[in-house]
This record gives sequence, C-alpha cells and structure tokens, in this order.
Amino acid sequence: MDYTQLNTVQRQEMFDTIGIQSIDELFDVIPAEIRCEDGLDLMPALSELELQRAMAEMASHNRGAHDMPCFMGCGAYDHFYPALIDQLISRGEFLTSYTPYQAEASQGSLQAFFEFQTQIARLTGLDIANASLYDGATAVAEAALLSTNSTRRKEVLVASTMHPEYIAVLRTVLSDVDITITMLDATDGTIAPSTVEANMSDAVAGVIVQSPNIWGQIEDWDGCFTEAHKVPKTACIAVFNPIACGMLKTPGECGADIAVGEGQPLGNALNLGGPYLGLLAAKEAYTRKMPGRLVGMTTDEDGRRVFCLTLQTREQHIRGAKATSNVCTNQGLMAMRASMFMTTLGSDGIKEMATQSWHKAHYLASEISKLDGWKIKYDGPFFNEFTVDCPGEVTKVVDFCKSKGVLPGVAAAGRRMQGLSTKNELIIAVTEKRTKHEMDALVAILREVSV
Amino acid sequence: MTIMEATKKQSRGDKPTEPLVFEKHVPGAIGVDFPPLDVSETKVPEHIAGGCTTLPSFGQHDVMAHYTHLSDRNFSVDGNFYPLGSCTMKHNPRINEWGAALPGFACLHPLQDEEDIQGALRLLYETRTMLEEIAGLHEVSLQPAAGAHGEFTALKVIRAYFADHGQPSRSVVLAADTAHGTNPASCTMCGASVETVRSVNGQTDLAHLKEVIAHVGAENIAAFMITNPSTAGLFDANIKKIADIVHEAGAKLYLDGANMNAMLGRVRPGDFGADAMHYNTHKTFSTPHGGGGPGSGPIAVTAELAPYLPVPQIMMADDGSFYLDRDREKSIGKVRSFIGQFGVLVRCWAYISACGPKGLRNVSDTAVLNANYLAARLCEKYSMPFFDPKNGKFCAHEFVTVPQDLLDKGVTLIDIAKRMIDYGVHPPTMHWPMHDCLMVEPTETESKQALDSFVDVMLQIADEISSEIELVQQSPLESDISRADEVAAARKPVLAFK
Repeated sequence: MDYTQLNTVQRQEMFDTIGIQSIDELFDVIPAEIRCEDGLDLMPALSELELQRAMAEMASHNRGAHDMPCFMGCGAYDHFYPALIDQLISRGEFLTSYTPYQAEASQGSLQAFFEFQTQIARLTGLDIANASLYDGATAVAEAALLSTNSTRRKEVLVASTMHPEYIAVLRTVLSDVDITITMLDATDGTIAPSTVEANMSDAVAGVIVQSPNIWGQIEDWDGCFTEAHKVPKTACIAVFNPIACGMLKTPGECGADIAVGEGQPLGNALNLGGPYLGLLAAKEAYTRKMPGRLVGMTTDEDGRRVFCLTLQTREQHIRGAKATSNVCTNQGLMAMRASMFMTTLGSDGIKEMATQSWHKAHYLASEISKLDGWKIKYDGPFFNEFTVDCPGEVTKVVDFCKSKGVLPGVAAAGRRMQGLSTKNELIIAVTEKRTKHEMDALVAILREVSV
Repeated sequence: MTIMEATKKQSRGDKPTEPLVFEKHVPGAIGVDFPPLDVSETKVPEHIAGGCTTLPSFGQHDVMAHYTHLSDRNFSVDGNFYPLGSCTMKHNPRINEWGAALPGFACLHPLQDEEDIQGALRLLYETRTMLEEIAGLHEVSLQPAAGAHGEFTALKVIRAYFADHGQPSRSVVLAADTAHGTNPASCTMCGASVETVRSVNGQTDLAHLKEVIAHVGAENIAAFMITNPSTAGLFDANIKKIADIVHEAGAKLYLDGANMNAMLGRVRPGDFGADAMHYNTHKTFSTPHGGGGPGSGPIAVTAELAPYLPVPQIMMADDGSFYLDRDREKSIGKVRSFIGQFGVLVRCWAYISACGPKGLRNVSDTAVLNANYLAARLCEKYSMPFFDPKNGKFCAHEFVTVPQDLLDKGVTLIDIAKRMIDYGVHPPTMHWPMHDCLMVEPTETESKQALDSFVDVMLQIADEISSEIELVQQSPLESDISRADEVAAARKPVLAFK
C-alpha cells in the first residue's frame, strides 16, 4: 500500500481541473532519454500483514539485551526507562510535527524543548543548552568547532582516553578545515593535568576530556581544566555521561565551559546505535556561537509567556556559508524522550539510577577481581564501567559468555573499537538494571572460562 | 475572580497555560520507583562526589497530564493539513513504528558481534540496495544522520576523490541561488568555498553557470550542488545539459535529494548525470519528523566515488551472511558514532517495502497531481510565477505563489500565514526560495476532501483580505497564543528557566 487516497473518479476530476488527459503530461518536462521507463527493480509491495511477518522474522534473527543480560557499554547503555515514555512519545502531535518554526502552532514542542534545554543546563551545571545534536560523537565535533570559532585559534587538545569513535568522527570533521588535533597521552588510563600543562599554548582553542572515559575511569576534570584555563579564553570541553551527573561532580562544578555527551542513557533504547541524541551545554558567553536549534522564552502580543525558536541568524537557513554549523535536523523526538525521562525521574530518580549503577559495578568488579587470573586493569575511581584484563583471549571469553546467554562487555581490541587496544581487555558496564543474580551468574561463567 | 476564571484568562479558548515542569516540582514526589539495591554498598570518594540536585519531579499522573496538555498545543500531520514546502510532511504509517519498536531491533547494542544481529544487518543491506536502485547510483552509505549531514559526508567524499586524483585544488563548490541553506553551510564545514549560480524562472541559468565556471576556473571546482526539482518546485528540463557542463569542467554533480518525492520511479538521479546525492528519509520515505528529528540522510554515489564512502559499510558475504566493512583503505573515515540511525532506517525499509516499485511511482505521480490540482484551483487568487498549465507549464510536487495582489491590499505574508493557523492549517514555507512567496507541498497522502478544504481556506482568506482585512492582520485569533515576539526573544535570549 502506498498510502495515497484518491480514487479513479477523483483523479479524473483533478485532471479536468488542471486541464490534462493523463498523469504523464505532468512529467513531459523530463527529457525522454533520462526517464525511468522500465520501472524500479524492487521487490513487489508487501501488505501490512506481510510487513509484520517480515519484520518480526528479521527481528527474530537478532539476539540482544532483550534476551541476554547486557554488560556492554562504551557509549550505549542498557538503562531502565519508564513505560510511560513510549506511550507519550507515540502521540501523533509530537511524532508527526515538524520543526517548530511557527510558534503559534507549536507551543507544545517548543515548551518541551525549552524544558529539555533547562534540564540539560541544570544536569551539567552550566548556563544554557541547545535542543540537541545528532549523537555524542558529532556533539564533540561541534564543541571543538565552537571552541575554534570562539577563539579563532587552530588547535584542539584531545584526551586519548575519549571514546575512539568520537575521536574518529572528530578527525573526519576537522580534516579539511585547517585545525590541528593534538592527542593527550594517558598515564594509567587517565589524563594527568601535567600532560595538559605540557601541551598548552596560546594556539589551543579547546581541551577535550571525557569522564568517565572509554576505560570507565573518572578523569581529573578539575585538574586538567585548571591547567587549560591558565591560557585565557581556552574552552574546556567536558564529555560527560548524563547519568553520572546524578552523583558525580558535574562538568560545571569542575570548571568546564562546554559540556557535550551522548544522551541515549536518558530514556532512549539501544536501537543498534541510533537514533540517539547529542547533548551540548555551555556557559552563557557561547550563546551566539552555539550550533543547532535554540528555543527561547518570550511573550506574545497579549503578554503571555510563550516560546519560540530563537537566534536563527546563527543557523544555515538564514546565514548559509557563514552559519555556526550546517546542522538543520536535530534529534527532536529523542530530546523529548530525554526530557520526559528527566521529568519522570527528577534529580532523586537519576541519583538513584547513578548510585545503584555505582554500587553494582563496584560489586561486580570486586567479585571478578577475586577470580584467579582476572585483574581489574586500573586502580583509579570508576563509575558504572570498568576494564578487566582477561586471563585468555578476550574473543573466546565473549563467545563463551554468549554461549551461556550473557553479553559480558565490549572487547577493547579490534576494528570495531577503532584499534583502541591489542590486548585482552574487556570493558564491562553495569547499569541499575543488572541484578545480583545476573552478576553472580556472569562471575560463575568467567570462573568456568578461565579453567 | 475564581481560580478557574483566572487560569482561563491566561490563554485563548478553553486551554489554561501549562506551567513549566520547574514550576510543578513537589519535593519528595516521584514519577517512578526502583527496586531496592541488592548488593553491598561501596563508598563514593568525597573528591568525586557531587551531582545535579535541581531537576524537578512530581507524580506520574501529572507527568502524563503535562505532556498530554503540551501535545494539545501542537499542529501535526496527524491532526492538520501541513503543506510545508520542501519538507514533505506526508502520512507516517504506524506499521513503521511497530517494526522499529520490536525488541529484536530496539534492544540491540551497537557493538554486538555481527553473528548475533544478522536480521538487523539484513535489513540495513536491503535498505542500502533499495536506495541504490531508486537513485540509479552505484553505492549507498547509510551513515549520515540527516540530510545536511549527508551533504557534508558526500562533499567530503568528493573532495577525497579529487585529493586522491591529484586535484586537491578543487575546493570551490557551486550552488544555486535557490539552494537550501544547508548547502553552503555544509561546504564551509568541508573547507570548501561557495560560488552562487543564478536561477532564471526557477531553473538554473545555463549561461551564468558557464560564466561562473570560467570565472572560478574549471580546475578549481569540486561540484555543483543542485536541487531537482528545484526548490521552486520545477523539474529542470536542462538537467542533462547541466550535468554535461559540470562534467566537462571535470567536476561532480551533487543532487540535493530533498525533492525526491517528485521523481520516484519516474527518473533516477544517476540517469540524469548526478554523481552523488543525499536522501532525506524523513521527507521521501515517511519516517516521522518528530518535531525536528530524528532524520536520516543516506547518500548515493557513482562507482568512482564509492571507495571514499564513510565506514562502516554494510556488506553481504559470498555465503549470504551480512557484515560491516570497517577497513576501506580510501574511506573518509567515520562521520557518526556506531552504524547510523538504525531505528529510522527500519521505518524507511518498511515504507519502501509497503509501496513496492509501482507504489513508489504512484507516490510521486500523486504528489505531483495533488500539487498541480491545488495550484490550478488557487492560481487565480494567488498568483504563481511559474505555473501556466494552458501552456504546458506545470509544477512538480510543490509550487510557489507570490500573492502580490493580496499583499498590495495591505497584508503581509506573515498575516496570511498566521490566519491559516486560525483555520487549522499549518502555514506553508514562507519567503523561500523567493521573497514574499509561499511554497506549498501537499504530498500524496492527502485526500481530495482535504485538498478541497485547503482551497476553501485559502479562498476564504483572500475574501477576508478584501472584506475584513483586520481579521487577517490581527491573526491568529483562534490559536493558543497570539503572535510571539521573536525579536525580543533574539535580542535578550532566555534559553533556560531560572
């Protein structure tokens, strides 16, 4: 079914109104030699029932967090979210509306995005936030460009402990615009403030440090950003995990000027990597250079408090080549999900999720460290994710765990992680969803694999 | 005054203004609960402890009420005629949502082993090949997250191709003066400069194109970005000639695929000479706009550009299994984390599969028919610079009107647009691609009754401008709010609630 609604009689009436005999006349403008006369070579149409069968069939060939306890993280987490989110987000008034350019017809979306912006600003401890970007990786790239555009400097310092895909995307985005990336080497799985100090100069526009980092380790944002700020105007960019903000010092508390991150943990499903949403918050000074859509509070002619898209002169549809970014579509629906999630949980709920994740991750790490041959790789503090050295080949460990019905974590080696490591390291994430029973079962499986 | 009267007065009609979540906070109230912790506690070191304490919360019923009230304040495709030109606000089939929400798709972690996600990879591979066929181009990448992201990615691919062929100086991109703003902005993101090519009667001015090429120097040009049908809603009859001119200059023709809804199964970009293009799945393939996203912007390219596509690429192995190729030597690299907007692509797959080849052609046929029908019924009162059916000048899937006669009577374009809101119609795209224009795109999924009602509304507004002009000048009169002060919002931006 192609979802059109006209019957033959109606089509004929419309032909008559236009003054044509056949639909082909409307396409006469297309030169004959380029027309697609033979039709498209695609499978014939499926009815809705057949579509249901076909999609259910394809879905049945996938195993994932729905049928195995999932200890995988590295930028995408199997967190709990309340059932009401799927229900509310399905409302056609949200789902099938466009970007709220017409304020008078879009107060619902606009107010929700304004609330989202405020929630993200508060969560990060910064002044403002935009209405979302594509994902964590592109948000990092936009933050780097925000720092170079604000300072007119041409170098960014990047923690080598950041998610390797974020580094890869950053390299792609900065490759043709004459900006240098300098990688900050790690010491024991984190970036030492002295490493930042050693690489600082007045050419540096921004310093990007992710915490918790790819190994799960909590970085010394305070120390790194203090060093970076010794060169005035340098933008300190914190790449954050929104759930961690429920119990750990926020980017703002640690001196960040800009905070970016992956918003998936806030009420969005794993979705094999997307759609997710990029979060971007900043100090007020960056307002007019921000990328992406911004919703502002204003009044209508009768003095009511209302909301509208604002500062659009930054954006591509007004400014063209001089825009702060080419981003147009954001992740509106995902941002709304995130906002519904934060509204339902509040600070207390997010703190509960963060705290439970913390305690459970530490319990599991402690149990694994008791196993012969298994070692927790780094001594520094971690949040809900940690790295273990496996006694044998990590791929075999993963395969064995899967054969027992568990996704044990992410192997750091291999192309999937952009060559992060060549060693037998497993990065294990624990959310509030994991139970003691599941963790004990994983430990038992790991014990079995090592003998 | 009673409380009820007071809240009513804050708003138009019967709807009270919805407070912000920050104003509804009830200390101690929760919207959802958690199971008790089932492991021993580990102390949090003081030097890292902290966290946000200022997010409000309240009871679950009020959460539902809050968002239900907000949803009541939104126009949508489900509830309103939404003829936003260039945005293709077509019906969003719910089977697509049903499929994307299946746990076998929604609960997959992006770093899982390929052997465990063969069904999902099959879907991606089929989507890739279907989009290749519709484009008439060699290879599709599903990586870009949205149309503008697709432009950026494809331009990077083109620049990488030239760099690899000893022509790194090709750093100028030509774009039509009617191009989407994303075109030049994407060029900037790629370190390319932009030269504008004039349009005449909504189509590329061939003479000016040649002039610009001569002026810039053919050897410096990377690509010409064209939207076809143009943003004025016209198929460019010279498209093949344009492609030849661009190719003679050694450059690539880039198609902004925003208007693919006018061409499905009628003409393929690869067949008229496009070397690269992007799709907007949220336009052409019915994935919901969601108040501004998520989108997905797959790109299609010729065989010579294919080696430079981003990684990973979805592939089928000789044994019929599916895998992600992450080792493409000449690839521009990664443009987004993980493997793209998978959930959006599930919906895209479902839509193309529902339509089939004949259905897709009927989609474009009907979209074009609907637009021409509206234009034919409205052109007397709303003058249209390019529409002249008696002389064989039709529009594609959208049309532009510059209602000068009406404007001359003392209303602005915004007045007309806001009056449409009173009648439950979302205003069309305004002031773009021409000054003082409305750009109307009805899409193929509207019924004839809906089209006729829209015509009635537009003719009624034209009458009002003659008889009761204040109604239009003061509109919207029936919407939740009167006109928002956008100037004040930009002058002193308030982006967060304090």
